[in-house]
Amino acid sequence: MMKKVTFLTGYYGSGKTEVAMNLAIQKEIDVIVDLDVINPYFRTREMEAFLSENGIETISSDRDSKMHLDMPFISKKIFNPLYNEKKRVIYDLGGSDQGAKLMRQFDDYKDMDYDLLVAINIFRPETDHEDEIVKLINRIEGTSGFKVTGLINNSNLLKDTTLEDIQKGQIVVEKVSKKLNLPIAYTSYWNEIDDTGFNVSNEILKLKLYFRKNWF
Amino acid sequence: MAKVLMKGNEAIALAAIKGGVDAFYGYPITPQNEVPEYLSKHLLANGKVFLQSESEVSAINMVYGAAGAGARVMTSSSSPGIALKQEGISYIAAAELPCLIVSVMRGGPGLGGIQPSQADYYQATRGGGNGDYSLIVYAPETIQEVADTIKESFDIADYYRNPVMVLVDGLIGQMMESVDFDKPIKERFLPEKDWATNGTANHPGRRNVANSLQIDPNALEQHNIHLQEKYNLIKKNETRYEMINFDDPEYVIVAYGTMARICRSAIEMLNKEGIKVGMIRPISLFPYPEKAFDEIPKNAKGILCAELSMGQMLDDVLIANNGRHKVGFFGRSGGMLPDPEEIVDAIKNFSERVVK
Repeated sequence: MMKKVTFLTGYYGSGKTEVAMNLAIQKEIDVIVDLDVINPYFRTREMEAFLSENGIETISSDRDSKMHLDMPFISKKIFNPLYNEKKRVIYDLGGSDQGAKLMRQFDDYKDMDYDLLVAINIFRPETDHEDEIVKLINRIEGTSGFKVTGLINNSNLLKDTTLEDIQKGQIVVEKVSKKLNLPIAYTSYWNEIDDTGFNVSNEILKLKLYFRKNWF
Repeated sequence: MAKVLMKGNEAIALAAIKGGVDAFYGYPITPQNEVPEYLSKHLLANGKVFLQSESEVSAINMVYGAAGAGARVMTSSSSPGIALKQEGISYIAAAELPCLIVSVMRGGPGLGGIQPSQADYYQATRGGGNGDYSLIVYAPETIQEVADTIKESFDIADYYRNPVMVLVDGLIGQMMESVDFDKPIKERFLPEKDWATNGTANHPGRRNVANSLQIDPNALEQHNIHLQEKYNLIKKNETRYEMINFDDPEYVIVAYGTMARICRSAIEMLNKEGIKVGMIRPISLFPYPEKAFDEIPKNAKGILCAELSMGQMLDDVLIANNGRHKVGFFGRSGGMLPDPEEIVDAIKNFSERVVK
């Protein structure tokens, strides 16, 4: 069961936004907040119409040209879900500790019931070893001022991913889990991968790749 | 090194390091910012030079200086930023200095927008700079091909003493794909840079000068003839293209970069419907693969040039076709990407697309 508030973070390019989209749809979340001030393309806000059809509200920038503007504007509406007891929300942060900096504005809400999940892809160059991942988590906790509460093994090579790749990622993420005493919240992977016989003790989240067209 | 998942811009940067880049000079602009961001961290950490200059104009002139001194040097930018660099690019080509220029195209003209485009084909192949000069221009299609091309481009630039441009659109810069950075590249014999202005201690008794000024018209004409001979050699040796699904095609699509990716899907869809369509994918835009057009069957119904622009490569397609077949055009611009279905439709209604 997802908590009322979930923050999603991770190394730049580890697949947070695809995970956030899938969690929002599969877990019937009410609001998704796009706090990405790092990327110019492939941001949650591009999916606003689609999410809306699925009953999910998107909060991002208030600027008219927000979709194609490379400016770090964030709407003041990002706090709204915290004041509505009925609404569950996912905050999709930008990459790495720079992206996690935006959590500082939630300093006054520290006692809320939240999860801060770190998506990990061991095939990204700076999170390919448990020691590097531990360092990243320390940096994220330092800049955000929040404790990380769980891990997501999102290890993938996009459409080239094999089951073996996911398993390799699982081994590394399990080591991080042990070292930091943090649970693995999900193992997430592309829903077109044949996962016959694949087994992990944590929850599996199968991903539909919303941002990939059939030609890339 | 096994496969890793990289963003196109990061792959450009890492491949440049693997290719032995000594120095990077540039100025930020979306959608190529991850190139300098990555290099700022990794070049400085390895004792190399990274410098964010005060403008694109100074960046390209720093490239000119460092290339003249014999360093492996690069810059990267996007459309309006590359426009600002044109004067320096012409000087570098005139002085016959090797360097790598990465151009990550966005929508134009003017300041335009930040979404992907291919509207700088003229800028890359015809040049915005003055005089009879040419760049060697490569337009890779996948992140793997981007990495391989960047790595090799330093050798090619050194070999011909000519700037190489790697031309991609914003989507290739921003998208992620798995890459193997250890794929070997062609080995080339590279002579010593005995022309480098690296101090007379390195070449006693000889003063080296990097220069593009030639006051004597006779000497300048001779220099131009020499440059043309070099470009002809480049045409002979460095033309690259891929022929896709070329089994007696009824129609032939010509597309590069992201547009070629979209057309691959369209071709699959058309083949399923029994319409045989092949593709010529130019990888080098200069030199342009004119020879590939000789492979088009005589009875083919037409050639469709597809671009993320209002029709620029179309000129080269018309030249290469040389009146043999009907040529049609499909283009989107401003940062809009077509779905493969739009290409399918353009082939099915080819007569409406014919320009010549």
